[in-house]
Amino acid sequence: MAVVVKLEPDFSEGSISYNPDGTLNRNETKSTLGPHSRIAAQAAFYAKVKYGARISVASMSGHVANTALQQAMQTCDAEVLHLYNDVLFAGADTLGTAETLKAGISKMEGKMDIVFSGHRASDGETGQTGPQIAWKLGFPFLGHVISYDVNLEKRTITVKRLLSLQGMPDVIEEVEAPLPVFIAIDPSYKHSFDTVSERLTSEKYQREAYERAKNYKDRLQVFNSEKLGVNRGLIGLAGSPTIVYDVQRVPKGKATRHAEVLDGSNPEHIRKAVARMREALSAMVTK
Amino acid sequence: MEKYDVAIIGGGSTGLAALKQLSNLGKQAILLEAGSKIGSKNISGGILYSKKPRKGIVTNVEQVFENFLDDAPFERKITKYILHSTSKDKVYSMDLTAAHDYQANFGYSVLLNKLNSWFAKQAVETAQKFGGGIIPGVHVKSVKWNEDGTAIIQTDELDEFEVKAIIAAGGVNSEIAEMTGARPKFTPMQLYQGVKVIVKLPEKIIDERFGVSSGEGAAHLFAGDVTLNHIGGGFLYTNRNTLSVGAVYHLDSQLRNPTEPYRLIDALLKNPMVSEFIKDNVPVRADIDKSLPQEEQLRIRFAVTKLIKTWYDVRENHLSSNEKDEQAIADIKAKLSFVQEQMTAKYNVTFKTDYVEAEYGAKLIPDGKRCRMKKPFFKNILFAGDAAGRGIFIGPRIEGLNVGIDDGVRAANAVARALDKNDFSESFLGQYYSQSLEESPYTMDMKQIDQDYLKIFLDAARDVPKDIIGSRYGPILKMMSNRTLRGIAVKFANVLGYDKLLPMIESEDTYVKVPIELAERLGKSIPISYSPSILSIADRISKLSYNDDHMPHIKIRDPDSEYMKKMVILCPAKCYSEEGGKIMLQHEGCIDCGTCSQETDWKHPRGEKGVNYQYG
Repeated sequence: MAVVVKLEPDFSEGSISYNPDGTLNRNETKSTLGPHSRIAAQAAFYAKVKYGARISVASMSGHVANTALQQAMQTCDAEVLHLYNDVLFAGADTLGTAETLKAGISKMEGKMDIVFSGHRASDGETGQTGPQIAWKLGFPFLGHVISYDVNLEKRTITVKRLLSLQGMPDVIEEVEAPLPVFIAIDPSYKHSFDTVSERLTSEKYQREAYERAKNYKDRLQVFNSEKLGVNRGLIGLAGSPTIVYDVQRVPKGKATRHAEVLDGSNPEHIRKAVARMREALSAMVTK
Repeated sequence: MEKYDVAIIGGGSTGLAALKQLSNLGKQAILLEAGSKIGSKNISGGILYSKKPRKGIVTNVEQVFENFLDDAPFERKITKYILHSTSKDKVYSMDLTAAHDYQANFGYSVLLNKLNSWFAKQAVETAQKFGGGIIPGVHVKSVKWNEDGTAIIQTDELDEFEVKAIIAAGGVNSEIAEMTGARPKFTPMQLYQGVKVIVKLPEKIIDERFGVSSGEGAAHLFAGDVTLNHIGGGFLYTNRNTLSVGAVYHLDSQLRNPTEPYRLIDALLKNPMVSEFIKDNVPVRADIDKSLPQEEQLRIRFAVTKLIKTWYDVRENHLSSNEKDEQAIADIKAKLSFVQEQMTAKYNVTFKTDYVEAEYGAKLIPDGKRCRMKKPFFKNILFAGDAAGRGIFIGPRIEGLNVGIDDGVRAANAVARALDKNDFSESFLGQYYSQSLEESPYTMDMKQIDQDYLKIFLDAARDVPKDIIGSRYGPILKMMSNRTLRGIAVKFANVLGYDKLLPMIESEDTYVKVPIELAERLGKSIPISYSPSILSIADRISKLSYNDDHMPHIKIRDPDSEYMKKMVILCPAKCYSEEGGKIMLQHEGCIDCGTCSQETDWKHPRGEKGVNYQYG
């Protein structure tokens, strides 16, 4: 199976830098494995422990020292790392990126049964790349996946999808699909290993991954456009129909709530707050 | 149901030694640890000793973990051991290095998060070969037995599984000990409450300030007014680039006259000698101009955070013993002054003398003299280390980690023998282990006064004017200072037994009054050059890392009880409060010490939940 991951800015305090105009200073800001990519790698690790899957990780990036691949390797104990690096890949929108990643995945050794991606990137937030790779690969796309199990004999996968519809309570949908599939992992994904033997296996792979990731470059394969054999018209700026003509700040929503400042050291104020909370809670109880 | 040979409950030094030993002997063992990572729930003073007792044999750390001396992340080899008596700004010091060296191969200062992770790495490599290993994040909630005597382990996180034998090394608050009825909960009289802070200080400053060469370190003990009239004392150990500063007091002394445990630490930190030991050059942020646009304020805040972080990292490197060539040293110096220049010129960061506290923690410590388990087994479960109430506290002699490691090995040997004969009965496994512990020189130390150790102590106290202690311990002292009489006195004392002797020795006179008098009469005055800005308990707790559990692991039995009322003061994390005469618990900031366990339904948090120490 394969996991596609993205190197993203590390938004934590102490790692991030801003320009005086309030925009991100990309040179000074550290990069890291995107949080959604990390969850996708974790999900792949589940199959490694449960079904002994072999995992490859792929990323398209301008950085040759791609710590995202290293971190992903450490997360899912991947055996192969693919890096797609070429000036021709630059300026790609989600469609151009999907073409490159599709070409890369097709180049991977063996047939991919499952390809994982994160829900979206934290710096782009469109969530389009995954579905487009799926479409290009011709794999069924399953989004918002919170758990999955594979039936190795029938070669099918059963997934649970978390569906949030506006104004409706969340719904969990169970879907069965034939392999291969493309899965976008929901941010709330969390697996558990319930037996001693699974946990021992998981611990063993985690240690193996930790050691392997120290020398991740030994397993890193770098591809340029030529090595990938991609159509230049479908990648990079040329393959990207999106035109960004303006970037606007997200306008601040008007606060509709009424805030009252209370002094935490004043018992009278605390009593008031507790009374208000009680009131609010009792209103929530449906009788 | 899955079946395994041995389960070890608890991944502290004791449990890890047991796992390593069993694996060394080619046996399959699974170690279950509640913390999310090995070491995350462990805390100690701490000094790890390797001993060579004259009578009997112990297994030392370097024998179980062969690479220990070459590779283990211990901090410093303690080469100075000094006891200070304090009264206000005066300190009278006694060199007890000879007592520290007594029957010792070495004593290293250690931080358990790092050290136990290393132990785990060593143990798991061997364990894996025999189908064993370590499973973190698992909390054992009960044990049942099949008709054939095999044990079924039930946890909060995993499907239940079967084992032939169990080594219970879950620490001083062992739930297995309590739920099986193997022993009652330890009483306050049998326990010490220890609190500790980790203070950051660059390596080379420590070398210079404590007068030690690189890799060597000092241990300082404190008694007198820093105790705030409690029975116990303070300590300060040098680590590689941190200091462990702590206070350890009898829990019953604390219950008689409750003082907030963090105030006991504060009293120690404010002592002029300790203040001078911990001081450092600390950057202080300037207030950000509130009239600036919000984005700009945020940018400045982030930029200053980043610069300060870089400054600490570069300075740490500059003042470390890491091998560097001249070019590297020049580069680091240049970078340091560049960063410092940026901080002061661009962002008005200033520097002041203060101290930097990195971590606060607490734990209960079993006093082996009073609470070691006489029958350290139950069915096919063996109890070891703190879980079996085994620690050595005799005046300035403080040993726990080495005892736990030796216990772990003894338990592992007993279990391996039982596996060979496939006999896990109490008479074959439990009795054998119990006998082995009885033969341990450490057990002897918990039972009897060692007159040779006593002599070293008395020699160190030679210069103390007789009249200070004479009025209190006159006859005892006279007997003890004469070689023949000492022999008789110690024999007599040992006939009396620790139970009768301890209230006399471990008294306010010993820990408070005599040291104060000593300091006042003979002590040197230590000038105070600054006043440390000591963190509040709220700040200390907020610096800790938690994985909160919405389900409380502690339940108050009686919110009106006198004991629980004292917890409002004695809980080191200030989790208890009184409202309308009733005691309330907020479990989220709990650091799992167990101080309140006497009168609560107390469990360890579920797997991965609760506090995660970074130093330990």
